[in-house]
Amino acid sequence: MTEEVILVSSTPNLISECNLPPVKKKRNLPGNPDPEAEVIALSPKTLMATNRFLCEICGKGFQRDQNLQLHRRGHNLPWKLKQRTNKEVRKRVFVCPEKTCVHHHPSRALGDLTGIKKHFCRKHGEKKWKCEKCSKRYAVQSDWKAHSKTCGTREYKCDCGTIFSRRDSFVTHRAFCDALAEETARVTGASHMNNHAAGNINYHFIGAPLGPNTVQNFSSIFKPISSSDQNIDPTRRGLLHWMGQGSQGQESVARNFQEMHHMGIPMSSGVVNNFPDPLVINSCSNPQQSSYQWSWDLGNNLSSNQAEELTKNSLPLNNIEDLSIPSLFSSQHQIHQPSSANMSATALLQKAAQIGATTTDPSFLGNFGFKCSENPVQNEKNSCGVLYGSNPVTSGIGSDVESSLSDLSGLNQLQMYPPSKRQHVKNDKITRGETRDFLGVGMESICHPSSLNGWI
Amino acid sequence: MQGINRRHPQDSSITGLPSPDSGENSDGKWASRLLRECATAMSEKDSSKIHHLLWMLNELASPYGDCDQKLAFYFLQALFCKATDSGQRCYKTLISVAQKSHSFDSIRKLILKFQEVSPWTTFGHVASNGAILEALEGEKKLHIIDISNTLCTQWPTLLEALATRNDETPHLKLTVVVTTSIVESVMNEITPRMEKFARLMGVPFEFRVMSGLNFLGELTKDSLGVQEDEAIAVNCIGAFRRVDVEERRAFFQMIQSLRPKVVTVVEEEADLSSSRNDFIKCFDECLRFYTIYFDMLEQSFAPTSNERLMLERECSRSIVSVLACDDEIDHGDSERRERGNQWSDKLREAFIPVGYSDDVVDDIKALLKRYRTGWSLVLPAAGGDDLGINLTWKEEPVVWASVWKP
Repeated sequence: MTEEVILVSSTPNLISECNLPPVKKKRNLPGNPDPEAEVIALSPKTLMATNRFLCEICGKGFQRDQNLQLHRRGHNLPWKLKQRTNKEVRKRVFVCPEKTCVHHHPSRALGDLTGIKKHFCRKHGEKKWKCEKCSKRYAVQSDWKAHSKTCGTREYKCDCGTIFSRRDSFVTHRAFCDALAEETARVTGASHMNNHAAGNINYHFIGAPLGPNTVQNFSSIFKPISSSDQNIDPTRRGLLHWMGQGSQGQESVARNFQEMHHMGIPMSSGVVNNFPDPLVINSCSNPQQSSYQWSWDLGNNLSSNQAEELTKNSLPLNNIEDLSIPSLFSSQHQIHQPSSANMSATALLQKAAQIGATTTDPSFLGNFGFKCSENPVQNEKNSCGVLYGSNPVTSGIGSDVESSLSDLSGLNQLQMYPPSKRQHVKNDKITRGETRDFLGVGMESICHPSSLNGWI
Repeated sequence: MQGINRRHPQDSSITGLPSPDSGENSDGKWASRLLRECATAMSEKDSSKIHHLLWMLNELASPYGDCDQKLAFYFLQALFCKATDSGQRCYKTLISVAQKSHSFDSIRKLILKFQEVSPWTTFGHVASNGAILEALEGEKKLHIIDISNTLCTQWPTLLEALATRNDETPHLKLTVVVTTSIVESVMNEITPRMEKFARLMGVPFEFRVMSGLNFLGELTKDSLGVQEDEAIAVNCIGAFRRVDVEERRAFFQMIQSLRPKVVTVVEEEADLSSSRNDFIKCFDECLRFYTIYFDMLEQSFAPTSNERLMLERECSRSIVSVLACDDEIDHGDSERRERGNQWSDKLREAFIPVGYSDDVVDDIKALLKRYRTGWSLVLPAAGGDDLGINLTWKEEPVVWASVWKP
């Protein structure tokens, strides 16, 4: 049997949307101090000692400098003496006393005393504080308090609508939820294409290889975005993903464009030739920036200035009209013009119908398509089936269950496996060997929209 | 008991057997009594008794009834196969029927639902993930070899932990070795999902499924693609019991040759291997284990749950295999479980046992709190040899989890 080895090397933190409880965002790695700062190395004992800040008037000790200053005000000092007694000439940074710790070295010292104290406790200290609800343990009391406030109160909502009170069940669900497939199909597409290049034309241009889980590449562009959702404009997000991320995405997108051309897809000849080097995408990590630069030429020779204009919410239509690619891209932007979050599925359908025969439809209909894959129809030409791949090819659920059951000896074996009512979709033929345009839609479906079984 | 046909006369005078009626009324546990009697009759080769009991059981059994009826149904099937020497054939048929009735969607739904209502599997996941994370702390290149049929449901939480726990997210390579053909057939659905999820988590990830093995003994260091600079963890969930009994020691040696930093083991607490030459003993133990299991299923799921039904059906193959297949090696799905202390004895030849840290124990306790009552955690006895922990259902140990180092 062939073994699948799929190499995915992505850099961390490509996450731009955060439906999941946010992955800890990496600020600049803590402990990259100002080189001019004075490095202080305190012993563990001193570090943990409270009340290091002493009032010179009454000798009272405080944990923090701010508290000490507040206290000193109460002594009614003459104005001059109100100022801090030691002017901090140099900034002070602190190293961790634990030798094995990365912050032990001055080059990774931490900037404030409270910070180093907490760090020391958390990493090297004993975890004395325990949450009652979930048994999680903490070394720093404030961490424990903060956690206890939110423990069990937080709810996690998956894209599919299910709500979880437990983070671990949410996480597990999310990994297997088909809603996830929608979101990241475009991202997957980029790197998959990279790996599956070499003459393999059997994939969506944008999406991953055909399969029910690679459905609806574009659905989340149209998906109603609730206010609690991401802070990125859906178009940008969709486009961002679509453009791929990082150079890997750029190259593969570029390559696919080339391949589309080779496939003989009608495109204005200007498109490919004008296609400059890998797309310049500089906003992968900063999705909120409005200044993407695309050099992706959609049939016009865009200078970089013009490209800037495209960074608004939707592409100006006149740039795309002359494109003869049955471009999902173009139509998706048409649809997206109103750009309002909650476009209903019916409205989308109508829009899709307006756009015409070249745009096959079910790909826009996110959730519809979803159901499509669960109610397989045996029509080979059903583009719904095509777009979404077949049901898992492996699930040959046929009516031959019953015949095999009759082999079982004697005892009411039929009770065990009541005939299953599912049919399988014979889509293997479609998914192999046929020409694919970048929609992954078979050419015949483009040419014969009437075969779409009532989707439009 | 509903749905039981009571029209037939009770021939107690002829056979000397108690009629089902009296069995029901006294303590309701007629199934185990009848089944045991039937097994005894088989080992004594008392064919008229066998026939009578089989017939009675057939009348009373049902996969849709209560626990007794279900146990009667599934065990009856195995007894029948044993009596007619058709175990292998029945097993193969059951496999093929199961393959046809399962799809990725149905298996996924089944596993996730089971994990939602019962810690039977999640117990092992939490314990193993905790041990793996601790053992591989600070490593940059991780390679986890997952020998299990969990459909990778163990790994999302680990991926999340890798992403959020560490300052520098390590690179994770996950090699999954699947041992049942049914799971094997859906792994192609798992691959893209895992990759996508890892991408979402921001964990550099490489995923590989090894399939097509006839039996686990075929695994080798080379075929697993183990590299020198990787920190290896071998995660075996319900894997050992699928290795042929005679080959288990060699299998452990093979794992040792991979030079893992940690080996996590999860198995179910039943001894179906030391008694494999003693039919009655084996039968008793098998019945004992599945009685607990079916009871657990009944208590955990809603009464009309389809998932529960499917899980019960999954047992049928295992029961037939153990009771009626007489250790035929070629089907490779032997499922001869052993208890934790038995595994420990063997594992100690190749590895050193390691206890679970307090943090992991806390996590497990927190996990169990989220399920219905009836579950608890049993920690190893102080000074004992076995450092594994047990999940218990109604005080009966059902799952054993342990950690080993070279």
